[in-house]
Amino acid sequence: MGIGALVLVALGPLVFNDYWVDAILTQALIVGIAAASMIFLAAYGGMISLAQTALMGIAGFALGNMVTQRTPGGETKGLTLGWDPTLALVLAIAGTTLIGILFGAVASRSLGIYFLMITLTYSVIAFYFMGQVTVVSGFSGISGINRYTPSFVGDMVNDRYRLYYIALGVAIVVYVLIRYVVKTPFGLALQGIRDEPVRMSSLGFAVPLHRTLAFGFAAFLASLSGVLLVWWQGQIAPGDIGLQSTIDLLIVAVIGGLGRVEGAWVGAIAFIVINNYIRDSWLTDFLDDVKVGGSFNTIIGLVFLAIVIVSPDGLLGLWDRLWGLVRRGGGPAAPAVSPSPAGQQG
Amino acid sequence: MSRLTRRWKLLLPLSVVAVAASAFVSTSGATSQAREVRVAIMTDCKGAFGFGYEPDIGGAQAAFAQWAGGKPKDAKKPSAGMTGIKVAGTSVKIVGYGCGDDTVPTAIKETRRLMEQLKADVMVGPLSGDEAVAVANYAKAHPTKTFIIGTAGSQDPTLQIAPKNMFRYFGDGAQWNAGIGEIAYKKLKWRNAAIIMDDYSFGWTSAAGIIADFCAIGGKITKRVFPPLNTTDYASYVQQLPAPSSVDGYFWVVGGTGTGASLTAFEQAYGALKPSQHIGNLFFAFLGADKVVAPKVVSSYVGGFGTGPGLKTKQAKAYEAIMAKHYPGLNGGNYADGFVSNYYHGAWALVQGLQKSKGQVGAALQAALPRSIKSAYQVSNGGVMKLDGNRQAIQDQYPLQIVKNADGSIGTSVVGFVPNVDQSFGGLFKKTSPAPGRAQPPCVKKSLPWQGKIKVVKNGTITGEVIK
Amino acid sequence: MHAEVRVSAIALRRPLQLAARALIVAGIAFALLYVLLIAQPSPEVGGNWRTTNFGSAIDDWKSFVRTLLNGVTSAGLLFIVASGFSLIFGLMRVVNMAHGSFYLLGGYIAYEIQQDMTGQGFALLGTEVNTYEWVLPALVAVAVIGGVGLVTQQVFLRWNQGQELRQALITIALSVILADQVIAHFNEGIASTVTWPGWTNRLVGIPLLGVDYSLARLLVLLLGVLVGVALWAWLYRTRTGMVIRAGVDDRQMTSALGVNIQLTFAIAFVVGSALAAFGGVVGASQGAVASGQDGQWLLNSLVVVIIGGMGSLIGAVAGSLLYGLVFAFSAVYLPTTGDNCCTQYSIVFTFILLALVLAFRPQGLFGRHG
Repeated sequence: MGIGALVLVALGPLVFNDYWVDAILTQALIVGIAAASMIFLAAYGGMISLAQTALMGIAGFALGNMVTQRTPGGETKGLTLGWDPTLALVLAIAGTTLIGILFGAVASRSLGIYFLMITLTYSVIAFYFMGQVTVVSGFSGISGINRYTPSFVGDMVNDRYRLYYIALGVAIVVYVLIRYVVKTPFGLALQGIRDEPVRMSSLGFAVPLHRTLAFGFAAFLASLSGVLLVWWQGQIAPGDIGLQSTIDLLIVAVIGGLGRVEGAWVGAIAFIVINNYIRDSWLTDFLDDVKVGGSFNTIIGLVFLAIVIVSPDGLLGLWDRLWGLVRRGGGPAAPAVSPSPAGQQG
Repeated sequence: MSRLTRRWKLLLPLSVVAVAASAFVSTSGATSQAREVRVAIMTDCKGAFGFGYEPDIGGAQAAFAQWAGGKPKDAKKPSAGMTGIKVAGTSVKIVGYGCGDDTVPTAIKETRRLMEQLKADVMVGPLSGDEAVAVANYAKAHPTKTFIIGTAGSQDPTLQIAPKNMFRYFGDGAQWNAGIGEIAYKKLKWRNAAIIMDDYSFGWTSAAGIIADFCAIGGKITKRVFPPLNTTDYASYVQQLPAPSSVDGYFWVVGGTGTGASLTAFEQAYGALKPSQHIGNLFFAFLGADKVVAPKVVSSYVGGFGTGPGLKTKQAKAYEAIMAKHYPGLNGGNYADGFVSNYYHGAWALVQGLQKSKGQVGAALQAALPRSIKSAYQVSNGGVMKLDGNRQAIQDQYPLQIVKNADGSIGTSVVGFVPNVDQSFGGLFKKTSPAPGRAQPPCVKKSLPWQGKIKVVKNGTITGEVIK
Repeated sequence: MHAEVRVSAIALRRPLQLAARALIVAGIAFALLYVLLIAQPSPEVGGNWRTTNFGSAIDDWKSFVRTLLNGVTSAGLLFIVASGFSLIFGLMRVVNMAHGSFYLLGGYIAYEIQQDMTGQGFALLGTEVNTYEWVLPALVAVAVIGGVGLVTQQVFLRWNQGQELRQALITIALSVILADQVIAHFNEGIASTVTWPGWTNRLVGIPLLGVDYSLARLLVLLLGVLVGVALWAWLYRTRTGMVIRAGVDDRQMTSALGVNIQLTFAIAFVVGSALAAFGGVVGASQGAVASGQDGQWLLNSLVVVIIGGMGSLIGAVAGSLLYGLVFAFSAVYLPTTGDNCCTQYSIVFTFILLALVLAFRPQGLFGRHG
């Protein structure tokens, strides 16, 4: 079934119209990569990180600052260093990974819900930093970034199908990479640390170091997402990494299912589709009719609330249960194979 | 767990999904049969300017109602929609309302949704300065679509970026403050002043107008303070302002949530406010913040919004009658709010353009859009407001004053008339000059086209007297 | 071979740690000396690494004291809001992401009540408001939000205790809904103020320190102190408080001892929400309340609790003071070398404070492990 979905996605441009491919599918692939980095940490590291959005943004801002050039007079947003795009790409990804390691090092000795709080704080501080330090961005952000892309990437402004396939390729690589890493000794040790940190520590494993490196790996994945984001959007502004965006990414991961990496893209497509189409729907009129008032944001909040209450494994968990019901004809549901971090003690 | 409970547990999420699915199935039936012009109105429904949603849509749709036969579905709720808009035999459909939140990413997503998914040909909007910069960049990449700026006051969209398919039928944030510096210098006898501004592009742009105007006539700005946007505690920033005894006055360019908070912080640092020592930009008199601030600064002068509340000219009265006819009570009856009037004029210009292009959009519409319009509050040139070479309006401006009405309520009154303010501010802002920023513009004496020509306005009538 | 590498790594760790700690202490000492002695007043144009807005404490004693008071008084408000968050987190391990929404709602409810009482559409001048017209809106707001908190806890959080992530997600969903509903029902989310009673609207001379300072800000500090004392009395002198402290220490044991832990949870959540609402009223009086501030105050509460340690009253005090002071001083005492430096980097110092605490005491200054 996964292969089927993959084939459908690969044939995307033939099946869907231009707007769907560019605005919905490409965005879902990019957001999915960032969500996958969050799910990797959650499912295999036992750490819910709300800093992935910030790391994605840092990569985007770094690339934007390094790559854009000063236009005569007018707005000079960011540092406009005008460096070679390939060099800037490498530096942005490497730099974000290093920042991720730094963040991870500071937070690595905290667990569970603490870790969530600390990473949330990172996220909001990054937002304020990008908004207030006007030298590197300012509130309006940096624009025109996708005019300067490395030659092997090509024209991201006009050739949107190329962008789609690049995003698809990176998403596949990220997925395969995560599946590979969790099977390596490092990945296995990480899962051991997730389950039994004290025992692993007494066995001689450097628990904080493992966590820090895992966080660095997740930062690397998030940086890929950030780079793709600025190629897709052309611009980046603090609004991309604010509290709202951070929560949106968490919603994406939860909707998809925090236990499975595939959930990242399932959640991303579900969230983007709902977000896009809900604005003109009859649901907001219904809200007015029952005098509750509010806009589509209330609807999104209600949908999220319903999903969290009813199916904490997200849509994939729902799918598993449905499938299980169908196959067993209503027998006992199969236990969740993937680790669910919902019950982690702090 | 029994079978029943398990099935129920499945049904609930399935029904949630089904309900969600119906939400977008119901909208995707947008098939257009005959040739029609598709228009999108882009505004904010969230964030600092979320309250502008209905006023903006109402302003635009009132123009469609008056000049294109549109019929509002609900005279109390503009976002309920409108039918029957027809120009030059072509029907015009409002395909959607953009819901921004004053941030760039949402602006881009909404713009794409309106222009690509809903396939709008023309956009009237957006609302805020940063959104307009993002939309201007988008417009540059999409030359077949047309963009008429809603009420955004940033300078870039028509000066630095200036795409050929983007139009603005009102002044930018700097233009709005023309004349206020001269009033401070001549009427209040200010010679040196401090200025406190939000540390982002609209703050810098609005402040640029004040600084240029005040310094041009000989005033000196002794201190500039930059609280970050969305500061909650202004005590530390107000502390950086010079004490009331060492400076003649203060210019306030703090908006949104900060207008009231910063003034309160000033009171708590230096005691009660002396209205003659404080001048604010449009936030003192419009956009909701006035409710918080105005009672403390009755008789302070205020920079304008490009509109003349209470102006008794024929054009102004006609405009207000139009608004009252189609959307009575919109924006609390305050039709001279730029939120309403700027969207109105943008939509009206669109109607005129479609009439001239006979319903054609794209390049034909861009050529046909009027390069001058009888803007409601325009008095110069026989009431005709012209666009400059960047499709940016050269607009009369009206400095204001906060007044207490006879019934005890607080309002604004026009006190000055500044003719023909252009975006370059008399040559100060050029495409190649540095954008407004913390240190831009510097405080220099120069001569501005309207220096010494600001007329006194009393009771809504422009007198022949010049402000001395 | 492996053992040798590990041993030498351990051998290296100690001096590295010492070096790191020495560096941190030197940094903090330098910062203090900079503010007290080294800084200089800034010239008309330009400046260097030493020039700040006011110079050092020696150059301008009054500004130093005012900045100190600014920090301490803003800590008062931070404490009121963060103590509620810390209480809920410490006892029930619930990260109440809707805490900021409660703040917002509380502020708006008080605004509406005060407007209804005095019948105007505009903000009120201090002279038009007497003490009763501030106290009653505050009480109503606190009571209403306490009720909202109770309903939230009973309906959404009671049945999934122990599932921290799920509870955090539920409160996130609630905060999204509440934020939108505020815009729909309360003045469209426009910045609104509650007005202090008129008698607070003056400057009072502070003996010993030699400055005049705003009575309203001192009132905020006083309210923070009162809240702190009341909380202390409740937690350390009443039976319910004792149960709460026991629950913070060891929840399962407390429950096993036969205490009605559910009732205690409900009470704690109500008190926490009420504190958020009271903070909202005070915040709306000090500045303004506006949609979008819920995120800011959630962050503020998080920072205070991370620094101070969760579930600890003294930790909330310490966290508020540190955060408030760092915020106030970094806005004023960073060098001003010209137009683009350096006061806009003040946010970095908040991060540095956070990083320092987390690096050396990850459970917070007064928190307990695990």
